[in-house]
Amino acid sequence: MKRKVRILWLGLMTCNGNAHSFLNYPYLEQFFSDFEFIYHPIIDSDYTLEDIISKEIFCDILLLEGAIGDDFIKADIPAVEIIKKYSNIATKIVTVGTCATFGGIFRESNYQNISGLHFKANERIYKFNDFFEKTISISGCPIHPETLVNTLYAIKKGIELNLDIYLRPKEYFAYTVHNGCTRNEYFEYKVDNHHFGELEGCMFYDHGCQGPFTHGSCNKILWNEINSKTRTGLPCLGCTEPSFPKQDLFNTKKNMGIPEYLPIGVPKRVYLTLAGITKAFTIDRLQKKLFND
Amino acid sequence: MSIDKKEQKKEQIMLASLHLFALKGFYNTTIPDIALSLKMSVGNMYNYFKSKDLLAKEIIKFVSSYFGQKIRDINEQEISTKEKTRKIVEVYFQTALIKPEMIDYFLRIYLSTREVFKDGCEGMICVNEFVTEIMIYFEEGVKCGDLRDQDFFNAFGLFMGYLGGMVFLKGENILPKELDEYIDDVSFNIYKALSV
Amino acid sequence: MIKLIEKIEGEAKLNFSFKDNKIDDVNVDFMSTRHIEDILKGKSPLDALVINPRVCGICGHAHLIATVRALEDCYDAIEISNKAKIIRELTLNFELIQNHFKWFYLTIFPLFGLKQNVMKAVTPSQLMAKAIALFGGQYPHTSYAIVGGVVCEITEMDIIKLQHYIDETIKFFENNVLDVDIQMFQNCDNVTKVMSQRGDLVEILKLIEINGWLDYGKSYDRFIVFGESSYFTKGKSIKTRVTNNLFLEDIKESEATTSFAKSVHYHGKYYEVGPLSRAMVKKTALIKDAHRKYADSIFTRILARVCEISQLLLHTELLIKELDISEPSYIKPKSDISSLNASGFSAVEAARGTLIHKVIIENSVIKSYEIITPTQWNLCGGVKDSKGVSQKAMIGLENIEIAELVFKSFDVCSVCTTH
Repeated sequence: MKRKVRILWLGLMTCNGNAHSFLNYPYLEQFFSDFEFIYHPIIDSDYTLEDIISKEIFCDILLLEGAIGDDFIKADIPAVEIIKKYSNIATKIVTVGTCATFGGIFRESNYQNISGLHFKANERIYKFNDFFEKTISISGCPIHPETLVNTLYAIKKGIELNLDIYLRPKEYFAYTVHNGCTRNEYFEYKVDNHHFGELEGCMFYDHGCQGPFTHGSCNKILWNEINSKTRTGLPCLGCTEPSFPKQDLFNTKKNMGIPEYLPIGVPKRVYLTLAGITKAFTIDRLQKKLFND
Repeated sequence: MSIDKKEQKKEQIMLASLHLFALKGFYNTTIPDIALSLKMSVGNMYNYFKSKDLLAKEIIKFVSSYFGQKIRDINEQEISTKEKTRKIVEVYFQTALIKPEMIDYFLRIYLSTREVFKDGCEGMICVNEFVTEIMIYFEEGVKCGDLRDQDFFNAFGLFMGYLGGMVFLKGENILPKELDEYIDDVSFNIYKALSV
Repeated sequence: MIKLIEKIEGEAKLNFSFKDNKIDDVNVDFMSTRHIEDILKGKSPLDALVINPRVCGICGHAHLIATVRALEDCYDAIEISNKAKIIRELTLNFELIQNHFKWFYLTIFPLFGLKQNVMKAVTPSQLMAKAIALFGGQYPHTSYAIVGGVVCEITEMDIIKLQHYIDETIKFFENNVLDVDIQMFQNCDNVTKVMSQRGDLVEILKLIEINGWLDYGKSYDRFIVFGESSYFTKGKSIKTRVTNNLFLEDIKESEATTSFAKSVHYHGKYYEVGPLSRAMVKKTALIKDAHRKYADSIFTRILARVCEISQLLLHTELLIKELDISEPSYIKPKSDISSLNASGFSAVEAARGTLIHKVIIENSVIKSYEIITPTQWNLCGGVKDSKGVSQKAMIGLENIEIAELVFKSFDVCSVCTTH
């Protein structure tokens, strides 16, 4: 029998949201026959955190969850030391979540030099540069369980993943959250009268939806296998991006009525031209309620 | 005939039409009049424009594109919003001076003959190129902190209404001075009204 | 002697001192903090709806509901539809249920020498997560409850789906936790009857009995509940005497000298919060019976938490029947929250007990934000002559292993506490 892949899941400055999101993966039984945690913040393991810290336990993959600060202490040891020790041991490192990748919410906490492993928001940092080549980033606040699990399987199979500039697998992060949103037509035809609490309408114009310029597969693989924030009517908050969290998240930042952030890669001139054209027409179906005539 | 040649000819027809519309009025100008002014047969004219309404729509797009390109050149310069404002006013007044029929067409025909344009020129479709560039001018002005953030149409109306009004007054021979003598003051006023 | 307690959504350090082979004192130390309250300062008020669920990965939804209620409390008057109120209560209940399942199979099982049962923990909790995602778009970390209601619209089809998730969860409970009809369990008022059944719950309770642990984990026998819902009642219970007049203003938080967890007291006294407190204040027959027999020991505490699963599942079905989907999900507030200069309070029953949020809005931004978490109530370290609730429960025990069990019977959440 082939041995299981050994994973160390190390929680840093975190809410444990990624660890819990991971527990929503639908095929965990299979997962546990292929992988084992030498330590996990929730799941029982052969070693205790004290073992991890005081000894050098072999692992194949190091998973980091949470932001890193120079003076952040984990079980009486500077977290930075633990990270370095196990980054040397592991063959691959995966930063799990936006905090571990970019610093996330806790970038604004009161520690020194808070960041992700290789990035502080979109700025590259070199504290752990020796391990850059062996790192894969799975951003998201929290991570989508399938994104993490399938990446671990790809590592297990030795697949060379195609990564973006933040080391995120393109398979999941080349898409925008906008792709697959059930409210797409309201965006495409510039029907901009969105009200919360309705099935209809697009949150891009007024309510801060970042879907068109946020990388992620939320509307492609869905959350908890059934839904997504934008489908239910909550704006995409941009939680996979280095800039998360931006300010004033429920309002679209506009300059003289023109959204400051536009769909990725679409020049302003192109966007405004297309918007101008579609706005000139009234599409009855999209003005009406979906179910009532 | 090559596509380029055909486009050239179309442009020629549009320029001639603009001239005649300004001279005789839109309704008083017929396709035969336009053909005659270009020494073309009426039949040949129809190879380029199937009707006067279609011609009218093409012309407004042509005018919009002309201004759009001019303002785009300004937008792409590395200059302050204040300087951009002045340059846009300058372009508008210069055009009113050199090609009065263009502005005339926009103000007197496009804006006041909506029945001709309602089909195919819905909303701002036919003036899209021009409006897009004005939007970009506004958006960038706000983004760099020069202009005050406000409703787009508020600002658009102030800018374009003012310029159109001045050109209208000039056309009615009411303005005591030449248009270009107003460039400094008008741009000062617009910038002052729009800036933070 | 220092023991690092792990896998409590983080860690805590317990520093024990022994006298005559018994625990004489114990100091609870949470070793870090994440300064969420500082992060919120200066932010747009609605941004708290996004930041606060990130206090905690397992009970973040309670933080969302506490946030939206605190923000709404800033208005003199604000209209929230009954439908929105019910939906919020539903999703909060689902979070409590998933939490209790996880705690039972992931935390409690290993403490009794049983193998942690990940699959039994995740099967029902994934269903409950789906039920939240149906409204909230995702779980964890949705921000779907906003000032004025909820962002989602629901259809009859959604309710059918929801019913499936609930029914499946009930089946799971009946097949695993307690092998009786859930309705019968609901009506049961006698612990002995429960003990004669089969199921994982009974197995744990019997182990407590067999191991002679029935006396362990007793504390002040003082309980408090501030959050109100269509199921939970506000009140305090002191030696089974229940009073219902409570005032949020009388809750005091004070800095602990050694730990990042601030201590919380009401009228100068420490109270236990959580499912046991809720059952005592609500006078749930079965828990009252257990309490009569075993007081506030680990037996009663564990039973109360598991019992709450079935109670909430059944109550949820009643709530769904009350849903009128023709009502609006969201009613736009008459004024923008940024225009208010005001303060707001909220108290919500989270999985582990009363969660309190206080916000002050000034000049369009959050001037200050204060969060008091359930774990602070239960675990804050007291002073020499007045021990905290969990401290008192551990003093007198013979060894650290039992102390850890007692400690974890409170369902400790380190991340919440170190917000």
